[in-house]
Amino acid sequence: MTIEELIALVPLLVVASISVILMLVVSFVRHHRLISLITLAGFIAAGIMVFQSMGQPAIQITPLIILDDFSRFFIVMTCFASVPAVLLAYDYLRRSEDLKEEYYMLLSLAVLGAVVLAASNHFASFFIGVELLSVSLFAMVGYMVHGEHKRVSTLEASIKYMILSGVSSSFLLFGVALIYLNFGVLTFEGIQQKILNGTLNGYGMMGIAMLLIGVGFKLSWVPFHMWTPDVYEGAPVPVTAFLATISKVIVFALGLRFLHESGALGLFNVQAALAFIGVLSMLVGNGLALMQDNLKRLLAYSSIAHFGYLIIALIAASSASATNKALAMEAVGFYLVAYVVTTWVAFGALSALSQPEHGIEAENLKDYRGLFWQRPWLAAIFSVALLSLAGVPLTAGFIAKFYVFAAGASYTLWFLLGILIISSAIGLYYYLKVIMEMCKPAEDENDFQKAAIPFENKLILLVMTAFVLYLGISPQALIESLNSAIKVLM
Amino acid sequence: MILYLVLVVGLIIAMLAGPYFLGRRRVSRAVNEPYECGIVPVGSAQYRVPIPFYLFAIFFVIFDLEAVFLYAWSVAVKEVGWAGFIEALVFIVILLVALLYLWRMGALDWRTTRQKRDRARVQPR
Amino acid sequence: MLNLLWLVPFFPFLGFVLLVSTSGKMPKPWTTMIGAGSIGLAALTTALIAYEFLSQDMTSFQLHLWTWMEAGNFAPGFSLYLDGLALSMLFVITGVGFLIHIYASGYMYDDEDFPRFFTYTNLFVAAMVMLVLADNLVLLFLGWEGVGLCSFLLIGFWYKDPANGLAARKAFVVTRVGDTAFAIGLFLLYKHVGTLDIQEAMIKAKLLWTEDNATASLICALLLGGAVGKSAQLPLQTWLPDAMAGPTPVSALIHAATMVTAGVYLIARNHELFLLSPDMMYAVAVVGVLTLLMSGFTALTQSDLKRVLAYSTISQIGYMFLALGVGAWSSAIFHLMTHAFFKALLFLTAGTIILSLHHEQNIFKMGGLVKRLPLPCILFFIGCLGLIAVPPTSGFWSKEQILNATWESSTGGPLIWLGAVLGAFMTALYTTRMFCIVFLGPSNGDVHEPKGFKFVAPLVVLAFLALVGGVFVETAWQLPLSNVFPGGHAPHPPTVIVVIAIATPFLGIAISYLFYGKRVFSAEKFANSALMKPLKTFFDSGWAMDWFYDLLLVKPYQWLAKINKKDCVNLLPDASSAAAKILHAALSMTQNGQLRLYVGVMGTAALFVIFVVVFL
Repeated sequence: MTIEELIALVPLLVVASISVILMLVVSFVRHHRLISLITLAGFIAAGIMVFQSMGQPAIQITPLIILDDFSRFFIVMTCFASVPAVLLAYDYLRRSEDLKEEYYMLLSLAVLGAVVLAASNHFASFFIGVELLSVSLFAMVGYMVHGEHKRVSTLEASIKYMILSGVSSSFLLFGVALIYLNFGVLTFEGIQQKILNGTLNGYGMMGIAMLLIGVGFKLSWVPFHMWTPDVYEGAPVPVTAFLATISKVIVFALGLRFLHESGALGLFNVQAALAFIGVLSMLVGNGLALMQDNLKRLLAYSSIAHFGYLIIALIAASSASATNKALAMEAVGFYLVAYVVTTWVAFGALSALSQPEHGIEAENLKDYRGLFWQRPWLAAIFSVALLSLAGVPLTAGFIAKFYVFAAGASYTLWFLLGILIISSAIGLYYYLKVIMEMCKPAEDENDFQKAAIPFENKLILLVMTAFVLYLGISPQALIESLNSAIKVLM
Repeated sequence: MILYLVLVVGLIIAMLAGPYFLGRRRVSRAVNEPYECGIVPVGSAQYRVPIPFYLFAIFFVIFDLEAVFLYAWSVAVKEVGWAGFIEALVFIVILLVALLYLWRMGALDWRTTRQKRDRARVQPR
Repeated sequence: MLNLLWLVPFFPFLGFVLLVSTSGKMPKPWTTMIGAGSIGLAALTTALIAYEFLSQDMTSFQLHLWTWMEAGNFAPGFSLYLDGLALSMLFVITGVGFLIHIYASGYMYDDEDFPRFFTYTNLFVAAMVMLVLADNLVLLFLGWEGVGLCSFLLIGFWYKDPANGLAARKAFVVTRVGDTAFAIGLFLLYKHVGTLDIQEAMIKAKLLWTEDNATASLICALLLGGAVGKSAQLPLQTWLPDAMAGPTPVSALIHAATMVTAGVYLIARNHELFLLSPDMMYAVAVVGVLTLLMSGFTALTQSDLKRVLAYSTISQIGYMFLALGVGAWSSAIFHLMTHAFFKALLFLTAGTIILSLHHEQNIFKMGGLVKRLPLPCILFFIGCLGLIAVPPTSGFWSKEQILNATWESSTGGPLIWLGAVLGAFMTALYTTRMFCIVFLGPSNGDVHEPKGFKFVAPLVVLAFLALVGGVFVETAWQLPLSNVFPGGHAPHPPTVIVVIAIATPFLGIAISYLFYGKRVFSAEKFANSALMKPLKTFFDSGWAMDWFYDLLLVKPYQWLAKINKKDCVNLLPDASSAAAKILHAALSMTQNGQLRLYVGVMGTAALFVIFVVVFL
């Protein structure tokens, strides 16, 4: 390992060292704010370091890790999107009775997993990243199980997630093994050469299918989505938000890199399977969300649908024309960023009304009744998030959806686009239903809407809402940086 | 390969279906015993073990497994040189930090909650 | 300095945002400061920009703000485009707008919804400025719809009276007809020239089409449809008189000075397209002349002060359309400007009068106000002079240009000219009638004149502009339009024609004065004679257009709605929503929370996916 490689690796090492440092600190002092500040500082430092190195040539560090603009883009996104995860958790944990400090160790390990995933182009690091991320998440989902006011569904969610995630990991690992059996290599690019040589046989195909299943589980694509609503509902809000944003987005980015670099995306069968999954995800996700009156479940279903939409851009990324391919990849990148930002706003609003000290989260639709009259700003911000999720113009969600549409149209995926339109129409209904609920006159005294919103939560809401609107009104800056990020994949 | 798959599935179905049709079914208490033709078990299998046992078992598995990696290093200690040494050092330090954390957490304390409480009553700090 | 062009729409928009976000909780003086101040700053910026633009003799200036998004070859941008035309419009919008806002801060002060008023008007000014500065048709359409929305909100400002709500709805629906035509025109234009950038579209259109091309004519006709709706011209003029239900400053700002002239601006902006289609030019001229005649007759029979002014607005915009139709582009914009001066003055003075008389709008209940309201009387008199186009007031210069151009133009001609002169005669007739009835004659009722700087200063400035603005533009300071519109020689019709055109209004004044001022002839007797009575009723109802539309469109529509109560068209959406609900119910059953089902589904699905990938 040369010095240059070591320097390039520093941000990853910083993220990795956070958990060790936290363990040391916790061994001697238990100070919630200190611990959260260390975590925060680590994420921000790593994010800034990687941001600084954007545009530099790609560096392959050992066969496992690659740092090119694509991975840098997603590492930066992970690090900065983890900042609200820390802030929200700080605010949530402070008001709950459980042990607080260990959460940050788990969080930093999960972020390390995400960062490794973003920088992986080898199956070993792929698997390590996925497992780091998921194993930390098992514990995070079931983290707050102590205390007088614990929420009963937390442990159930954790166990469900652990078992199902175990099933999916076994698919993943078996898939990797089958691929190795077929090709004898574990790097993504090595596979591409083998496929071009014509060495692909049934084992390799089955391996790719199993990888799709493993990835599909993490992304909660239908029909691997069954865990999503229960886990979203059971997990504490900060964990749900992390699960919904970073863990999914990074797996998708890696899926794009794998499918693209290995050349598997060009295979007709893979596209057929993806299209099948996409149609199901769009329809089933929106169909399940339709009459849902638990907001966490609703957001779970909506995330299923959103990753269904993304499949359109994913398939379009196999286009032979360079411009169309770039368009599709930009669409994926933009959609992921828009989705993360919007989801943070939504969960920030959810958290603002929750009362962990009483073991209550504002997850029922009726808790939001009359919010516009009680807290107009919060209601407006939440509406912005919902409208962005629905894809209404002047929000980030609209540009993202438009991009996906343009990408799909350039690859003439008319059937999928038809499903996109139908399911978006269904989606509009349940997003607007929540806004309608907030507009209705307040029925009686609603305790949820009375409590003061902590500073950290306000900060997240304001910054992320600003991003949603900024990306909706002037998306060009992000598009340009995406442009350079995807160049390495072309 | 397809033939192989068919054979596997077929064999399993045959193995499961054979006894179902061929075997004689008899319902009696003895059939449901764990050891149908042995010593009659006494008491419940689900008795309570103090939680430190469980913790210690886990610690043993974890640290034992981690130590296995050091064997791999020891085989190639000359070939990997100083870089390998540093890497192994980092690994060991992380293990040590984890051990320190567990120690400070009181996870290595071989006493039940009640015993700890009793001691606190005897020797107030 | 020119790069600060974005500030012109930004200030009013900022004012809107501030007012909306405080939702009326701000103290009133602050509201005034923000509401009127934002427009003042916009006007100041306009003045500075105009100074630089004109002193450097620039033709046009484009300010690229940002490209919204670049997806493939689709790259709509936010750009502002400033040229002489836009600058002239900006003057009117921000300058006259500012004066009206000052007046409104006095007029509306006691209203309980004072902040809401300024919220709407600030949004209106922002949208109107966007409309004028837009460099592509999408942005223009956005501003177009924005001002339509604000007009709707402000007509129905006093929403507690259902009549006002109805008037607002009528305005919205009727202009919507025009907007639809406009939108279709835009789509058609985009389909053929492949760009929405206005300047680029004009250049491409000239290359693409020769004169009298059917497609170009169709697009022009559709754009004309939009213009007719927004500018209340025949046949979509019926909404404007009802729009007087809004507060008087709104009538001055939106329904006299700015928004209703958006149609004129639209045609002027796309004049190169219209030049390709002489037929449509002729149509524009005919629409203009018919409208001005019709509304002139109607104005003669009205008894509501604001409705008289509304009909006179329709008729003056008719003159602008006439000017556009005969190719006198600059004269149209010139008349737009002078009209904004004297009509805003008339409306605001009317507002003062109405306020003095405790919200009495019927002119026959006024009378003899010359002694009791001397200052408003003088101001109103000046406004009337401008409206009648008595030399040398501002209205005279612009109207004379239009009449002269009409005589000479190939799309005008003597017949149209005759109509326009008759219109000028009618204008003199109804204006003098209005003035005489309101200010002369016996007085009745008590008067409570609102005093103060806010009520006087804007009126004096407007009166000054209405008096000398025309001379100023005619002699010293030309409107910067020579670079925008194709130049032509100044029209010089025969002297006798010019003299007739100038003399006709005086004849009108004289006759009208004999009827209503001196009362030598009895107007009542004349109107009630067997011949004139049905005619009067006919004119009074706005040529029965409302009745006609009611019969032709509203009644059949209501009938259709009644028999289609179950709504057969809705069956399909209903069915699909029912299908979605069934889908939801079926899917919900799968989410029963049981882990074994989840694992089972996952395993089965995995088999299926493997099958698809491996064996398909």
